[in-house]
Amino acid sequence: MGMIQSSIDALSGSVGLGKLDDLLGWARKYSIFQYPFITACCGMEYMSAACSHYDVDRFGAGLTRFSPRQADVLFVVGTITHKQAPYLLRVYQQICEPKWVVAFGACVIGGGPYENYAALQGIDKIIPVDLYIPGCPPRPEAVLDGLIKLQEKIQKAPHGRE
Amino acid sequence: MTGEFVIAIVKTIVAVSTLMTLAALLTWAERKQSAVMQDRIGANRAAILGFRAIGLFHIIADAIKMMTKEDFVPPFANRFIHSLAPFLAIFPAIVAFAAIPMGDTVTLFGHTVEMRLAPMNIGFLFIFAMASVTVYAIVLGGWSSNNRFAMLGAMRAAGQMISYELALGLAVVGSVMVYGTLDLMEIARAQTGLFAGFLPNWGIIYQPLGFLLLITASIAETKRAPFDIPEAESEIIGCFLEYSGMKFGMFFMAEFVTTVVVAGLVSTLYFGGYQVPYLMADGFHLPFGLFLVTPAALVPWLQFGAFWIKVVFFCWLLLTIRWTLPRFRYDQLMHLGWKILLPLALFNVAATGAWILAAA
Amino acid sequence: MSQHALDRLTDELGGALLDSCSEHGDETACIEPGHLHRAARFLRDDPELEMNMLVDVTAVDRLGRDSRFDIVYHLHSLGRGHRIRLKVQASDSGEAEIRTLTDLWKSAEWLEREVYDMFGVRFEGHPDLRRLLLYPEFEGHPLRKDYPIDKEQPRLPDLAGYPEVDYDASEDAARLLKGMQRTLSPRLNGTAGRNGKVLHGAEAGLRSPVASGTDSRGRTRNLFLDMGPSHPAMHGTIRISVELAGERIVDSDVDIGYLHRGFEKMCENRSYAQSIIFTDRLNYVSPIINNVGWSLAVEKLLGIEVPERAAALRVLMSEISRIADHLTCVAAHSMETGAFTAFLYLIEAREELYKLLERVCGGRVTLAYSRVGGVAADLPDRFEFHLARALAKTREMMADVVKLLDGNRIFQDRMVGVGAISPKDAISYGITGPFLRSTGVSYDVRKAAPYSGYEKYEFEVPVGQNGDNFDRYLVRMEEIRQSMRIIEQAIAKQPEGPIQSEDPSVNRPPKSEVYTSIEGLMHHFKRTMSGHGTAPPTSEAYGYVEGGNGELGFYLVSDGSDTAYRAHCRAPCFAPMSALSSLIEGLTIADVIPTFGTVNMIGGELDR
Repeated sequence: MGMIQSSIDALSGSVGLGKLDDLLGWARKYSIFQYPFITACCGMEYMSAACSHYDVDRFGAGLTRFSPRQADVLFVVGTITHKQAPYLLRVYQQICEPKWVVAFGACVIGGGPYENYAALQGIDKIIPVDLYIPGCPPRPEAVLDGLIKLQEKIQKAPHGRE
Repeated sequence: MTGEFVIAIVKTIVAVSTLMTLAALLTWAERKQSAVMQDRIGANRAAILGFRAIGLFHIIADAIKMMTKEDFVPPFANRFIHSLAPFLAIFPAIVAFAAIPMGDTVTLFGHTVEMRLAPMNIGFLFIFAMASVTVYAIVLGGWSSNNRFAMLGAMRAAGQMISYELALGLAVVGSVMVYGTLDLMEIARAQTGLFAGFLPNWGIIYQPLGFLLLITASIAETKRAPFDIPEAESEIIGCFLEYSGMKFGMFFMAEFVTTVVVAGLVSTLYFGGYQVPYLMADGFHLPFGLFLVTPAALVPWLQFGAFWIKVVFFCWLLLTIRWTLPRFRYDQLMHLGWKILLPLALFNVAATGAWILAAA
Repeated sequence: MSQHALDRLTDELGGALLDSCSEHGDETACIEPGHLHRAARFLRDDPELEMNMLVDVTAVDRLGRDSRFDIVYHLHSLGRGHRIRLKVQASDSGEAEIRTLTDLWKSAEWLEREVYDMFGVRFEGHPDLRRLLLYPEFEGHPLRKDYPIDKEQPRLPDLAGYPEVDYDASEDAARLLKGMQRTLSPRLNGTAGRNGKVLHGAEAGLRSPVASGTDSRGRTRNLFLDMGPSHPAMHGTIRISVELAGERIVDSDVDIGYLHRGFEKMCENRSYAQSIIFTDRLNYVSPIINNVGWSLAVEKLLGIEVPERAAALRVLMSEISRIADHLTCVAAHSMETGAFTAFLYLIEAREELYKLLERVCGGRVTLAYSRVGGVAADLPDRFEFHLARALAKTREMMADVVKLLDGNRIFQDRMVGVGAISPKDAISYGITGPFLRSTGVSYDVRKAAPYSGYEKYEFEVPVGQNGDNFDRYLVRMEEIRQSMRIIEQAIAKQPEGPIQSEDPSVNRPPKSEVYTSIEGLMHHFKRTMSGHGTAPPTSEAYGYVEGGNGELGFYLVSDGSDTAYRAHCRAPCFAPMSALSSLIEGLTIADVIPTFGTVNMIGGELDR
């Protein structure tokens, strides 16, 4: 319903930034090119979510781009260690605007069970995060739920006023 | 004079918009077809006014998103060439289509209109000339990105182009010999009538090997799987990896436009072009003496439709191949191009010559 | 048989053999450090012993002892089936006291590097002793007992203002980039060259990577390329740096450790039961095999056996896990060669298996199914029905993939003859599992040293001939079929009985008792609370099972408490990864992908 409502809003809104916002939001949320930064166990569930049974392509998020220049959403999937952290930061910086970051799984959100010398205790220590999908690893249903929430967030972002 | 000018403009608008729409639809078809092959549903969520239109609006979403994405030129890159490359990719691909006939001549408002954009008697040469320009786009794009992966992709593209252009050119020489012309309209016209009383008199009957060679070489020319070596995402991430937004989108579109052009070329050369089986100027002459009258004014439009149906079929075939086969390795591709396709193409030329001599 | 090895070693070494013992069926010989190399060579070359595989090298930090470290070597004779453990002592002097075994076994190179990285023990004569899992800025050695488990050494400062840094301009960022490059082998970093040649530094290429293809004297320069760690085919945790002449690889360095999450340190700070969840995350594609491996190793320490039904369930669930593992491996490497549709088909089959596992364990990926002394849950109702359906789906999808790939000329061209390794080299690198079997060596732990009653099931061990990528693909596909055979036998003749050992040191009360009676609750607490759990006697054991990628071993040292004093995992894919560099040299960039794919690197178990 939200989708229909937003489409109607997009078409009936007054001419101006509000309408442009809606239009850009609509386009961007249905055209999510992901950069999967996959390192560990969560990748298995990411795979499940991306493949035939759950099929994130239904939401327009099926295309993965391994070049950060072409990606819109950085999916950080699996434990980020201190050794890995600079690479993550670099990839984040290389992604062209507008961009969003999804923290996928407990390790990415806060270190998960690895409260030790090797693991980064949450990627939000080094890059800003837009969406957290909890779980160890999150079930594909949770991934889809997160994706829909991300789409809502993208829809509401102030696109026209960048 | 003005009338012809208007006709030329209208023709161009119709043909280019059909081509671009078809190319855009192909991006959707690729998603949906791969989804069907892979037991998925595929994109279907984007809706306008509550209508989902089986995912067609995702094309619009993609286009708007790409156009509003940050335009990026890497530091230390050659800005001019970097920006030029995507235009160089898509422009020749569109222009190449001008030589392909979409139908026979029709009479509109007293004017005789030929259903192709550029009446030229060197259709082949024009298409191949344009096709070889597109490779410059990739080479320049890869080089100017100042990125090692892009550079490797550009080198691969150049090598691939050289290996396949020759086989591509030689593959159609057989057809040229059979029909004695370089004009694609003439070739399409010559494929009317019946062969052996019941088969449509299509080029594939005379040039079966030429067809296989052309379709193989032209998939290589479109740089799609199994010949997507310059892009090879899992190996070198692709030669466009420093392009963002619509510039990347243009490379992406160029691939699909080329696919349509290739499909058009293949249908014209080997599958009668706009010819509808058994359809003559006055109606359908079916085998066993059956005859079906068709209004003469309808015939060209039936042919126009038939042409696009054939094009869509070959686009579908190319997509199916793309989602079925793994990718070649660089040297294996060279091997295929130089050691298999090229000798076969030469053999095809010689055999066609011998056959023509014998028939004469 | 093993006693025989120890006897012969005693004869050979005489006084240099300080001590020898046998506990839990493992033979151990403590040797004078100076004689280690001689002993190892004797064991390898003696025609009656033929210890041709160096399975594992690790260390134990005996903090407070004069010679602080025990360096522990596990040797194995593939032909004769016997094993021996060698131990030498080393001090914390920073001197290289122990001679390297790299000249005897190729597997020693990475294994000794890991010991150096984790403990700071130096090996004399090692050709390339630098950190393996951690980064060059890291100070100290984390598996030493005096290194606090939570002492982080971040490479990046916290968020404050950092994302605004422009990588191409800031000095801070340039310093960081330098650090990222220092992880490289000195060979590829420009400081030293193989065969004496000095290579151009990666730093010089930083600003303008392809500005010039020639050096100052106009000669063609090779291209240096970093693949990974964030590269679509590197699974996010590997960096392969290659030197390219055209598309051909002339030199390469494999950099691992991007997923080093301190598994061993965690296990040394958690009770044996709590550590099971960490084993899930070793090889996260076949977690149950890891659970079983860990449980068996702890049970070996405790000297207990699990009931028949628990063993049968372990076999059943392990084989389901193994199928999922092989499916994922084949799926991933076929996708990376461009056959995307085959990938999706296989993952669809895997999805059915995940659903099946969920019915039993309640989870999809991280399952913690096997417990010390048994398994967590019995089979649910109608399990046979769902199992039959999942297996049918797997067969269907495999048949499709066989049609898509097996006879496909392009796929064959990409796989046949590529990434081949000889059986001799494979053994020297310590490679086991499908990788070793593809070379024609029929070694499978399930046959060679059956556990959990594997001897009761009928199955074949498929072997290849050429040890190339295609053979590895075929071996994996055949192993899936064999695993299905085992599953069908296991489900057909499942023995009745308890699923948990009655042994007082491990048995857990049923949940119904925990929630209703005070005795049950106390009993439960005694099992699960830190300091009260299962405490094996002071001893050590090496337990091993056949993992998805080969021999998965756990070397446990108990100090009598409920926490392992030392827990080490012998990761199956560690050995083939150490061989990867030699496999890809001379091949092209495109060959790296299927070769790396058939190694089936799993970051969790490789980096631990």
